[in-house]
Amino acid sequence: MTVSTNGRGAMLSADHDFDDPEPSRVAALARRLTGRVAAIATTLLGLLALTFAMGRLLPNDPVIAITGPEVSKEVYDRVFLELGLDRPVWEQFLTYVGKVLQGDLGVSTTTGQKVVTDLLMVFPATVELAAVALLVGVGLGVPLGIVAAVKRGTVVDLVARLIGLAGHSIPSFWLALMALLFFYAKLDWFAASGRVDVFYEGLVTPVTGFLLLDAALDRNWDVFWNALNHIVLPGTILGYYSVAYISRMTRSFMLEQLSQEYVVTAQAKGLLPRQVIWRHAFKNIRVQLLTIIALTFGGLLDGAVLIETVFAWPGLGQYLTRGIQMNDINVVMGSVLMIGVVFLIINLASDALYRILDPRTR
Amino acid sequence: MTRHMIAAALLASVSAFASVDALAESPPNMLVIGTNIGGIRTLDPAANNARTVSELISNAYDNLVQTKPASIDKLEPMLATEWSVSDGGKTITMKLRQDATFSSGNPVTAEDAAWSIQRIIKMGQVGSTDLALWGFTEENVDKLVRAQDAHTLVIELPIEVNTDLVLASLAGSSVGIVDKKTALEHEANGDFGSGWLAANTAGSGPFVLSQLRPNNIAMFDARKDYWGGAPAMQRVAVMHIPESGNLRLQMEKGDVDVGHYVSSGDLEALSKNPDMAIDSVPGLGFYYIALNTKDPDLQKPEVRRAFQHAFDWKAIQDNIMKYLGSPWQSMVPKGMIGAPADPLNRHTYDPEMAKKLLADAGYPDGLKKTLNPSSDATLPIAEALQASARAAGIELNLVPGEFTPAFRERKFEVLVGNSGARLPDPFAVATQYAYNPDNRDEARLGSYYLWRVSQQNEDLNKLVDQSMRESDAGKRADLFKQMDDIYSKMDPGLVIFFQRSDPYVMRKNVQGYAGHTTWSTRWHDVTKK
Repeated sequence: MTVSTNGRGAMLSADHDFDDPEPSRVAALARRLTGRVAAIATTLLGLLALTFAMGRLLPNDPVIAITGPEVSKEVYDRVFLELGLDRPVWEQFLTYVGKVLQGDLGVSTTTGQKVVTDLLMVFPATVELAAVALLVGVGLGVPLGIVAAVKRGTVVDLVARLIGLAGHSIPSFWLALMALLFFYAKLDWFAASGRVDVFYEGLVTPVTGFLLLDAALDRNWDVFWNALNHIVLPGTILGYYSVAYISRMTRSFMLEQLSQEYVVTAQAKGLLPRQVIWRHAFKNIRVQLLTIIALTFGGLLDGAVLIETVFAWPGLGQYLTRGIQMNDINVVMGSVLMIGVVFLIINLASDALYRILDPRTR
Repeated sequence: MTRHMIAAALLASVSAFASVDALAESPPNMLVIGTNIGGIRTLDPAANNARTVSELISNAYDNLVQTKPASIDKLEPMLATEWSVSDGGKTITMKLRQDATFSSGNPVTAEDAAWSIQRIIKMGQVGSTDLALWGFTEENVDKLVRAQDAHTLVIELPIEVNTDLVLASLAGSSVGIVDKKTALEHEANGDFGSGWLAANTAGSGPFVLSQLRPNNIAMFDARKDYWGGAPAMQRVAVMHIPESGNLRLQMEKGDVDVGHYVSSGDLEALSKNPDMAIDSVPGLGFYYIALNTKDPDLQKPEVRRAFQHAFDWKAIQDNIMKYLGSPWQSMVPKGMIGAPADPLNRHTYDPEMAKKLLADAGYPDGLKKTLNPSSDATLPIAEALQASARAAGIELNLVPGEFTPAFRERKFEVLVGNSGARLPDPFAVATQYAYNPDNRDEARLGSYYLWRVSQQNEDLNKLVDQSMRESDAGKRADLFKQMDDIYSKMDPGLVIFFQRSDPYVMRKNVQGYAGHTTWSTRWHDVTKK
């Protein structure tokens, strides 16, 4: 029996094999898994090659990056040999891959700590911020896009498009400063910088690194509310930019569906507009939307540099930018690798969700 | 029904949220400093000399001697209660106080002091640049710097040097006295405990580090058992707030008490606020244009001279530079021995003259170069230079970013930067601006600015050496005058325009916070009304 390598073919051939369906299903699954693992491994290897090349191609002396420029020749030569820079490039690459696999991303010259330690501190802060931003982005962007599509050409549509346009044209740091001026300085509703007030520093033992989660686990509600108070402004501003994008995309996906014949049929059958929109049209844009949301989340992780700077949010964006500015090559390589891996995970997760949402991809 | 319940829940959570009283002013026994701690790699005194980190170290570690912000040329006791110079200026003997303890509880002994100096030299990091000048090496330092008894420290000098300079150098933040026992308990691979001291403190100062998170916060707790008395501030929180606009808002609301690195525009606005005081502390350094003479165009003296007349510095002295510096064009800082009376006519803005000089050098159609600021702090000045140089026929392609590392490695064309020094003597500035013992790339003498621009002058080297040895104030003044004369005539790669000052913004209820010229600002006497 021949089994096609792609998932759908495998399923079909298994369905026709009435005598002995189980082994071939297992084989198909195994092949699919092997294919998936191979694809992930290849992507990771490519990513590693890219970061390695980045470290070697940048006009930056890896020895000076560790020792500082005022180094004697003896120390320079010693570190040069210790780093294995005298060995062939492929050997250096293998050493690099080996170290990464052991969780060794080197030491940051700007913070003096292991890059892994730094990343474990800054990355949760960024994920937390991005999660809030995504919540805002999806929570407002999707309904806004749908309403705009359904009420096309009306005032609602105009307002939705205006919000989208503003999100694309207003500089984020300006909006952030205005929000600070209004909601922090004038109204006194929200905090201005960092993840938590200084008085609450160190009250919660970090378990996950996500302060909101850690505070909740610790049942320290003072810290929880304070942390929530800190994340609202940066999270909302960051989220606003995804509202703009998500609502615009939702609107155009919906418009496309609403002009399809099945919608007209559903309407002719006498279904309520709500049923037509949610049960029929929306169901068909879920996969497209998921792609947009997954990409937005990835973008929020490394694209929050300005927001993180204005709100002094100790996240990955600030860390990576500082690393680039200070020629801290280990930080740049480590952060880029981290972002790459997260994108890979997001891709895998959205692939898995496609299968649930869209029967054709099973 | 469900919808109503959701709405009610939402409303309840929003109202609960708004009632969180998180934004109270900072408490009366806690000092909150808003600054930029982005560049802090380690809190080990031996590996530091930059501005913000010097302040942090100076509060966790005591020095043997100190200078007060109001009188930086007067040496005062700290861990050493008295000292004497003998043996024809070759030996310094210091008596240490007996009641000082480290935060670990260990007593401060002469052995700790000797070891702290020895480790600075042996580690060979930036801190050593202040002490290696006096002839100490890895080989001789154990013999020359030693404990005579538990509370007597002896420092023998291997070369002839003005002992006032040596004593003053002991007040620098790099020479904070480290708890030898504690540091060695955490030593790894013969690092003198440096790895551990990066994120921990082991000093006898009035504060001890309780928390350090890079790019976020450094928290210090007061020591009730400090030999100089418990500080009024029980905690000091040093917050990383890199965005000046945000820092300004937090200062205005009282969430932050002291602000560093506030931008010119925000300083101007804060100066009009009756709750704020701005202390512009004169610094031991300058704002300058650096011209890399390794570049074939900038190698030509006429081109460098053209730059002297291509910068309209008067246009920025009352706005961008109002709190950051005062006009100055000599390599000897204002108010110090040997300083000229009024050196403000050396580099006048004259685009026509600059154009003529460029034409003489073979660039009748002008010149194109890449311009970098040393960091974000000098970007506005670089922008001003770019604009005024255009009128002088110099097209500068401005690339912003953090370029101090590139500058230290001679990898730049034109750069706008600023400098500072820890030793309150013109000699310290002269070593940066006029001294370069080895101009080869391999020498890697990044701490000498003249090396960074690849210039060398044997006469200047000799004069700087002499000024280090000479003890007579009159003769020293003359040496500095001679240096200034040679320097101003050699079309230097470092064109000085302003003498630096460091603005500290404080809320008026903060008393006793006095910015120090050498950045060793201490919090011990700070109180809040």
